[in-house]
Amino acid sequence: MNYSILLLTLVALSIVGYYMGRNRARVTADGRIDRLHSLPSYYGTNVAIWVGLPAFILFAGWAALQAPIIEGLVFGSLPDQIRMTVNGDLLATAKMTAAQKTLFLNNVQNIATGDIASQAVSDDVRRAAAHYARLRGLSFMMMIGAMLIAAAIGAFFAYRAINPTMRARNTVERVVSGVMLVCSTLAVMTTVGIVLSLLFESFDFFTKVSPIEFLFGTDWSPQTAIRADQVGSSGAFGAIPVFAGTLLITVIAMIVAVPVGLYAAVYLSEYARPKVRSTVKPVMEILAGVPTVVYGFFAALTVAPFVRDAGNSIGLDVASESALAAGVVMGVMIIPFVSSLSDDVINAVPQSMRDGSYGLGATRSETIREVILPAALPGIVGAVLLAVSRAIGETMIVVMAAGLSANLTANPFEAVTTVTVQIVTNLTGDPEFDSPKTLSAFALGLVLFVVTLCLNVVALRVVQKYREKYE
Amino acid sequence: MSDTIAETPTVMIPDQKDRIARRLGRRHAAEKRFRIYGIVAIGFALAMLAFLLTTIVWNGYSAFFKTYVQIEIHLKKDEIAPGGRIDRAVLAKADYQTLLRESLIEKYKPEGRRARRRLTGLVSIGAGEYIRDFVLANPSVVGTTQSIWVPASADIDQLVKGGIDRNLPETSRRIKNDQLAILTRWEKEGRVETRFNTGFFTQGDSREPEQAGIWGALAGSFFTMIVTLLLAFPIGVATAVYLEEFAPKNRATDLIEVNINNLAAVPSIVFGLLGLAVFLNFFELPRSAPLVGGMVLALMTLPTIIISGRAALKAVPPSIREAAYGLGASRLQVTTHHVLPLSMPGIMTGTIIGMAQALGETAPLLMIGMVAFVVDIPGGPTDAATVMPVQIFLWADSPERAFVEKTSGGIIVLLAFLITMNALAIVLRKRFERRW
Amino acid sequence: MNEAIAAVGGTAETAPQAPPGLKFVTRNVCVFYGEKQALNGIDLDITECEVTALIGPSGCGKSTYLRCLNRMNDTIDGARVTGSLELDGEDIYDPRLDVVQLRARVGMVFQKPNPFPKSIYDNVAYGPRIHGLVTGKAETDEIVHTSLAKAGLIDEVKDRLQEPGTGLSGGQQQRLCIARAIAVSPEVILMDEPCSALDPIATARIEELIDELRENYTIVIVTHSMQQAARVSQKTAFFHLGDLIEYGETAQIFTNPQDEKTQGYITGRFG
Repeated sequence: MNYSILLLTLVALSIVGYYMGRNRARVTADGRIDRLHSLPSYYGTNVAIWVGLPAFILFAGWAALQAPIIEGLVFGSLPDQIRMTVNGDLLATAKMTAAQKTLFLNNVQNIATGDIASQAVSDDVRRAAAHYARLRGLSFMMMIGAMLIAAAIGAFFAYRAINPTMRARNTVERVVSGVMLVCSTLAVMTTVGIVLSLLFESFDFFTKVSPIEFLFGTDWSPQTAIRADQVGSSGAFGAIPVFAGTLLITVIAMIVAVPVGLYAAVYLSEYARPKVRSTVKPVMEILAGVPTVVYGFFAALTVAPFVRDAGNSIGLDVASESALAAGVVMGVMIIPFVSSLSDDVINAVPQSMRDGSYGLGATRSETIREVILPAALPGIVGAVLLAVSRAIGETMIVVMAAGLSANLTANPFEAVTTVTVQIVTNLTGDPEFDSPKTLSAFALGLVLFVVTLCLNVVALRVVQKYREKYE
Repeated sequence: MSDTIAETPTVMIPDQKDRIARRLGRRHAAEKRFRIYGIVAIGFALAMLAFLLTTIVWNGYSAFFKTYVQIEIHLKKDEIAPGGRIDRAVLAKADYQTLLRESLIEKYKPEGRRARRRLTGLVSIGAGEYIRDFVLANPSVVGTTQSIWVPASADIDQLVKGGIDRNLPETSRRIKNDQLAILTRWEKEGRVETRFNTGFFTQGDSREPEQAGIWGALAGSFFTMIVTLLLAFPIGVATAVYLEEFAPKNRATDLIEVNINNLAAVPSIVFGLLGLAVFLNFFELPRSAPLVGGMVLALMTLPTIIISGRAALKAVPPSIREAAYGLGASRLQVTTHHVLPLSMPGIMTGTIIGMAQALGETAPLLMIGMVAFVVDIPGGPTDAATVMPVQIFLWADSPERAFVEKTSGGIIVLLAFLITMNALAIVLRKRFERRW
Repeated sequence: MNEAIAAVGGTAETAPQAPPGLKFVTRNVCVFYGEKQALNGIDLDITECEVTALIGPSGCGKSTYLRCLNRMNDTIDGARVTGSLELDGEDIYDPRLDVVQLRARVGMVFQKPNPFPKSIYDNVAYGPRIHGLVTGKAETDEIVHTSLAKAGLIDEVKDRLQEPGTGLSGGQQQRLCIARAIAVSPEVILMDEPCSALDPIATARIEELIDELRENYTIVIVTHSMQQAARVSQKTAFFHLGDLIEYGETAQIFTNPQDEKTQGYITGRFG
């Protein structure tokens, strides 16, 4: 929370700078504002920027870099051999594994911040923690000092530069548009961040499990043993059953969503009176606004038992976490998505097509089936692809209503698991960061990202092309 | 050419007329069928919505009510204040739960440990706090016997509300016969009451269903949304303005644009993975904190705000810009003085819709540890917290019957927020919609 | 709509039986778009196997009138038609009449060429197929070829019948639309400014075609171009602000108009 006080101070300093700059501009112009190149407020803003911006950049850089630097210093100052716990083995500092380092650091940090450490720690750790706390304090003081110096230097030069011929407005506008440019690259940075973090962790995973086994293996049981000699300790990471489960649920969802969404869109755009359309459409949109966790609860509490009981009553053996229940509810969730996208697409078909067909004596349904739908087909395909990508990436419904065990089956009455379910289960709880189980979530995430990205790119292309055709 | 024309008849041959007429019935039947398919599709979607909402309301409305029972309790002086000194510190520390248990056992004299446990299981584990508050409000009652209203246990609560069938055989009922007998007696004496459950709105999570409230999750959602809004709104608007008003049309801006469109369709859970790998593991920000949750949701909401912001900016006609440029305004002035104020309602609408999405989002928050069991009410964006949808997820995962009610109740609260936000967006759009 | 039926019913008895040679007999036709009245009681007869041109400045109601003749106004929300319209003595707006059947008898060609996004072949075959006029490939082939031949398009497209109709030039597209309309052998073809989107050469080609088609079909054409009306039509009706101002032989309308407004319009004083 110290950080927020620091930032608020910086904001306050900038505001002071603004008023000083504005006043000075007035003074240098002898009170005649028309002699200034820009309005006084621009001179003020210019000073404020020079006070705030360099100091803020310094702050951001410092905050991002201090942790690794301090950690490096702490490790560097360790004796050759340390004990983690009071009675623990001696460890050679140079030969610590990544896991040991993480554990050591966690203990150090917990003690330094006053939290209780997980186990009785050794003096080595305590000493390191004291060192760590000292370094953090020092770093914080240095950061404050550096920020204040930066702000002062900025203020000094900006303030001194004020004179009637200075082009304050142009400078301010350049800075503002620069800031906006930085903001708009954030989207790209996010994508890069996603790609890098997924690739990085997946690479770690693939050093432990071969990509061939991951992509083509048919046995998925990511539980790693607690003891090394336990049966099945290795864990199996053949993701085919997980992909197949995802596919099965997606197909079920599409079987529900595509016909219902499409027929609803056709009815609303071609048959319904404007009044009906303007009431039914927003009501259907509510389905899209319901949070997925609510659908998940609905699927698990109501639909899954219903499907199971209905199946049992006609003599079918239905799992209580059947793919069917999760798929149907997911389909319901996607209906408004399909229908509103198809609605747009159908409305983009020019009226002249309809006129041409009606003019020949076609009925409405003939016109729709023979003319409108074929004309709208590319757009509808795009919409369906987007819906598929949505279904594949949907998490909460399957986490709550689909199973955990990876069955390789096409039977909708059995329980299957999906990519997103595995990501959630392998990463929640207490993840150890370098076990293959945890890392497998990132590999699955990478597959998920690549597949949905491809679907989206293709779908957006198709829809774009389609729109251009009729515009 | 004229040959072919001469061959064909001038008017429709009767045969042709007949052929058309003969098919008419079939064609109109097909037309009717097609129309019915459309109605069935819409009916199905609306029925599912109605089914979903009624299930939630049916299961959840009772979460807003809570059963209380009036217990006669002997507030033994030597147990509350063993030293004989009666001051607030001593009174606040006494073990009222045990006192309550002893009072019950003395009165109904159950035989055996199990019967005793069943008897004391009639009242909530949190009942002691109610007695403590009662005593603290009026210390002179120490040493007397008082009738005090305390919350019933979750099972009794369910039974009174009708969630458990009294006519089931004892073996398949969570409430046993001796418990039922006492409860029936209490009901006759007017010692059982159902009141509005204020605790549901003022308490944090709990392992005991009757004690669990949504306030902690609400506070967590609040801090998360604040962080999301503070990040996503300025950055989103700046991006939209830059791309729409400032950016040159070149490969780089094309790339940014394509990127934003694709980012809007990336599964939310992937943002969670990003948050886990970058914010938690790389920058070592605190786990389970609304700060990180808000940052992740901000990244997820950005594309929505940018896309709707650009649409709103595009809707401002160029004539406004030209008029301002004509007066010698700079590009930034044109934007901040004219274009941005005119497009603000549209941008706000998009922002509210994006925030509503973020408020209902669960999956990415599971990745960054906001799924922890948190009893305390978070006091700031760096405290461990959970948010409403995650709270609903946690409750939905709990096996007790009483949590079904809590889950549905939580969903009702969440939906109320979402409906309010969306209604606000609609009002905003209707109110400020401008036709140029 | 009830009003329309009542009005139709009321006037149907008094309306004179169509004399031979008259395809359409229309009396007191009024059209409303919501509250707005677009046509104020039009009385007009259309002669069989002739070209009747409807002219007038934009917004005068000529297209609206045309769209009454095959009930295309039904497809517009809030449009309401009253009065009596008879095709060969049958009331077009009779609720028992099937609009599908009517449109098979009264075909239409639109302002902008609007081929379906299908192959040339399928465009022409569409009408016969939906009406069940053809069974089997041979019959379809024949009807497609003769229709294309009648529309004067066959030589240009006979080697690429499976290519999309949207790939043709504007004039070819419009002739394709005409072929599509005549494939169901209608009795009447309505043309709503069929040449307004075409260049002069394509226009000339279409006008030539209209002249040929006159032998077998009754044609009603809406046009903006008075030269075109003079060139292709035998009868001309001049509309102005929802009223029928003058109707008569084309030669007479253009050389010796009875009404001032007609004169003003054809001499280019307004329009």
